[in-house]
Amino acid sequence: MSSSSVKTTLRYLFSILIVCVFIFPIAWFALTSIKPISAVFNKDRVVVFDFEPTFENYQVTVFGGKRSDTAAGQNMGMGTSGTGAYDGRSSIASSLIIAISSTILATAISLLAAYALSRLRFRGSQGFMHWILSQRFLPPIAIIIPLVFIFRDLGLRDTHLGIIIAHTLINIPLALLILKSFFDDVPIEVDQAAMIDGATRFQCFYLVVLPMIKGGVAATAVLCFIFSWTEFLLSLFLTSSIRTIPVKITTFVTSTGSEWGYISALGTAAIIPGFIFILLVQNHLVRGLTMGAVKE
Amino acid sequence: MSERRVWLPRWLTSEHPLPWLFPVTSLLIVFGLYPVLFSLWLSFFKRNPATRKEKFLPSWNWEKMISDERVWDAVQVTLTYAFIALFIQLVLGLLIALLLDTDRKGFGVLRALMTLPLVVPPAVTGMMFLLMYDSSFGVISNSLYSLGLLSPNTPILGTASTALWGVIVADVWQWTPFMVLIMLAGLRALPKEPYEAASIDGASAIQSFFYLTLPMMSKIIALAVLIRGIDLFRIFDYVKVMTDSGPGTATETLTAYAGTIYFKSANFPYASTIALATLIVVLVTSSLFIKIFKVKF
Repeated sequence: MSSSSVKTTLRYLFSILIVCVFIFPIAWFALTSIKPISAVFNKDRVVVFDFEPTFENYQVTVFGGKRSDTAAGQNMGMGTSGTGAYDGRSSIASSLIIAISSTILATAISLLAAYALSRLRFRGSQGFMHWILSQRFLPPIAIIIPLVFIFRDLGLRDTHLGIIIAHTLINIPLALLILKSFFDDVPIEVDQAAMIDGATRFQCFYLVVLPMIKGGVAATAVLCFIFSWTEFLLSLFLTSSIRTIPVKITTFVTSTGSEWGYISALGTAAIIPGFIFILLVQNHLVRGLTMGAVKE
Repeated sequence: MSERRVWLPRWLTSEHPLPWLFPVTSLLIVFGLYPVLFSLWLSFFKRNPATRKEKFLPSWNWEKMISDERVWDAVQVTLTYAFIALFIQLVLGLLIALLLDTDRKGFGVLRALMTLPLVVPPAVTGMMFLLMYDSSFGVISNSLYSLGLLSPNTPILGTASTALWGVIVADVWQWTPFMVLIMLAGLRALPKEPYEAASIDGASAIQSFFYLTLPMMSKIIALAVLIRGIDLFRIFDYVKVMTDSGPGTATETLTAYAGTIYFKSANFPYASTIALATLIVVLVTSSLFIKIFKVKF
């Protein structure tokens, strides 16, 4: 073997090893979700593969099934609350409603603003961009306390609409900056040609430019969805009965112990939509993560 | 068409930016700007914990914050956390990007797999690591026991000296892929000619990395440091889920301290003051950084 093919082999091995290290926590979590209680809480050794797979954790957390007697019987000092506390169905529904609505809202209104910032020349546009950027850097904790009071007064506390607004708020800077970078990619001559043909600004936006950046809009929407789906702090402060999945999962940790089977089942289920989506937007991911600053 | 437009004032037509910007602006003012001002207003009140009454005393909370030892501890924890995590993520991100930056078969799949940690909700990431750190059946703890690197008497997250590292590892796991992606984009955009010239002149791979790659990547590195640095400074999720600031206050960051005051003592004015101070630091640092390193969005 020549030295260059040794190098190539080493590069493959090393790359695979590193990727495995980064996949391991997810794989371990997913594996835990199909382990019976006795395998998860084995105090003598770490059980890796030698167990009877069970889907009971999913039946309880994702499908609202009853906790079986065997599991309850083997309850090894873990939380003793009823099965209902581990039913994640309403959390999944809430998370879906909130993520989808805030994605649509944030993308739609950011599209309008991004088009104007990309196409219209007006005083203060630079200042406006800076304001948007500072919103992205704002620590959510700085607005959350007054937001709790404002929401209480408006009757938005602990409602879906309330968190939808909060998530829209954190998604706007991201969506606006990414969408502006996509609009900037379309030459301004396209607009000029359309307007010479008699289109108004809005027709030009809606009928001509928007269809040209469809892919970019889809990527933006996917990123907004992921941000809302994974958001924790705002949901934690603004709700008490409506719980998004990340907040719901943390309630499975009780003072008497953690229900790792249920945590890993609901957690694994919560990761799946993100995986599908992120693989769909690989091409625009860097632009999304850098808010349009890096175009790949 | 054009005759109908005569009836509308110019600022209501689609030629004017106002109708385009109105929805975003109004939402950001009502739920973004107004709460910050509200927060500032709140910070001017002194809360009496016994009577739950609030009295207008503008400098009370701000003076209290300056002399609060716990705030300075939290500043120290936040900065330690942010700098260590940022440094590890940057170095690892760059190295892994160099490793994965090739058109050979299979590396596309590896690069895609590398992005997966990014979509795990941070609260779930916290849980994953809690499970692996568990002192009796956690896979990481048990591996460290058998290597003799850890004793069962000093659980990773339950010991003051290691708890912060435990949280940092979770952060590094989740966000190194972010750095890898950005660095890969930077590496892809590099011109080929300087490298050819350098190799003709006899430069080694390491020399061309330090004299060509790093300088040409400086803009993109600055951008990555900015975005990640700010997210690290306002860290909340991992600390809340994994240690809840403990043991004691060993992992209490500024935002976590503000959250603790909010949830445990309901002293909203003081919690707002600390949150605002965090906001001011973030905004000042980020604008300075953007100016100095000429980051463009």
